[in-house]
Amino acid sequence: MDLLFDSFISALFLIFSFDAEMIFIVGVSLKVSIASTLIAGIVGVPAGFTIAFEAFPGKRMLITVLNTLLALPTVVIGLFVYTFISRRGIFGPFDLLYTQKAIIIGQVILIIPIVTVFTIAAINRIDERYRKTAMTLGANRIQTAWIIFREARFGIIAAIIAAFGRVISEVGISMMLGGNIKGFTRTMTTAMALEYDKGAFILSIALGIVLLGISFGMNMLFHFFQGRSRL
Amino acid sequence: MTVYELNQLTKIYDGRTVLDIPNLKIQENRIYSLLGPNGAGKTTLLNILAFLEPPSGGNIYYRSKPVRFIESELQALRRDVIMVDQFPILFTTTVLKNLEFGLKVRKISKRKRTRMIQEALDLVGMRDFALAQAHKLSGGETQRVALARALALSPQIFLCDEPTSSVDVENQAIILNILKRINQTKRMTIVFTTHDRTQAGTIADQTLVLDQGRLIEADYENIFSAVLDLNSLGEARCVIHPNISLLMASQKINTATDKVRVLIDPNQIHPFRKAGKQFPVNVLHGIVCQVMDENLKIRVVVDSGVRLTLLMTEKTYRHNQIFVGDTIKYYIPPKAIQAIE
Repeated sequence: MDLLFDSFISALFLIFSFDAEMIFIVGVSLKVSIASTLIAGIVGVPAGFTIAFEAFPGKRMLITVLNTLLALPTVVIGLFVYTFISRRGIFGPFDLLYTQKAIIIGQVILIIPIVTVFTIAAINRIDERYRKTAMTLGANRIQTAWIIFREARFGIIAAIIAAFGRVISEVGISMMLGGNIKGFTRTMTTAMALEYDKGAFILSIALGIVLLGISFGMNMLFHFFQGRSRL
Repeated sequence: MTVYELNQLTKIYDGRTVLDIPNLKIQENRIYSLLGPNGAGKTTLLNILAFLEPPSGGNIYYRSKPVRFIESELQALRRDVIMVDQFPILFTTTVLKNLEFGLKVRKISKRKRTRMIQEALDLVGMRDFALAQAHKLSGGETQRVALARALALSPQIFLCDEPTSSVDVENQAIILNILKRINQTKRMTIVFTTHDRTQAGTIADQTLVLDQGRLIEADYENIFSAVLDLNSLGEARCVIHPNISLLMASQKINTATDKVRVLIDPNQIHPFRKAGKQFPVNVLHGIVCQVMDENLKIRVVVDSGVRLTLLMTEKTYRHNQIFVGDTIKYYIPPKAIQAIE
């Protein structure tokens, strides 16, 4: 009990003293997570919107595949991307392995299905009457799509927040593709795993508190936007 | 001028024909009410008239030109016609922005937009609500804003799906007044659906009755589910109420089913108060619950366990001295009863 208590107090001290190493690790985590969420949003939101809005053959199957991809383990993605960006992979010459870019690539693959599926759900939740109303008021196809998008905006923001929450807390991709290199690719989760292996709990707990704080903030935002989307 | 002409129009959902209209013409500047029970195809017909969904078969002519349900051609047509839903939905923004949407897509200048929005809000008595959040309005207010949103666009054809079904009596009167006023002042053609015959009669120039997707050649609502009873003499009676069994005129009746829908022509029902008149069959009595002057005829609603409508000339009405609350007798000639399907 003393170990936990002492470590916790030391961790709080570390946080409030703005330890340089800890700040850097948090910075790397936020940087890669924000970048991967932005890219996934740029790809996933229009994809989800198109899938939900348009009727085309194979739509149901595509949604089933996307739902299946939600359960994709991070180590599988890590392994998959590794085969492409390792020295012997087809993108080997780009020297991406063990860089922040590699982590971002893996994380984008991880969360594109999340953003897409949640966007589909947000659009599908919008009452069909919005489409009909926009059309009868003289809107063309793009203007009608914009109305639907606008009505689903809170649900789509919630999708992006959920995706960010997923990447900020993942460890498999960051470890396998980033390599946990101090000062370059060490993220909060990989640092915590390493510190645990070393038996040094203080930084681990401090990062855990920061991670929980960020996750808590994200969840607050998520619920705020989900609530707004049900107005 | 004929604005719509429908020929052999059908709509089929999942193999079921929900609309089957051999011919229908809708004339300009008139108010049409579309009566019928739930599932009669009223909303489907409005959707087709609003160019929101294509028919499964047949032709539609809009201002004598055939309508092709091709997205690129429909948008121009939709700008002539506006439909307001039974439960209209407002965009989750202010009332003002709701009204602005249709004007913006028509690329109307801001100055003109402001004036048109104010006029439309004035028309429905909602000017003070311009900056209110639309999703916070009551049902009646939502209905009125939806009307204003449509009217701001000055459509040539205005389609309303049960505009008064989800509002209180006060708002019903306001909405019916608005419809009447815009027809008179803006020369707008209006088609609205309703279950309420009184409303239909109050403002409509013509009433169309839909039943099971077909237009019925009648302007009334005496349609009942009945059980057929064929006796050994070959007489057919229809039971429309446990205490009401009516003799029908001999006609081709499908005996495969004993459940039918019957239509009783209100023009052929004869009221009589004075003793002396004797009719052998189909004499009922009931309490008068409504009397209305309607298009040169008097409409009397009698409660005899079921509500029956009688349409009579003013002379017949005066002769029989019918007042609300009176108990009257009336005779339904067998030939006035017709089995539909």
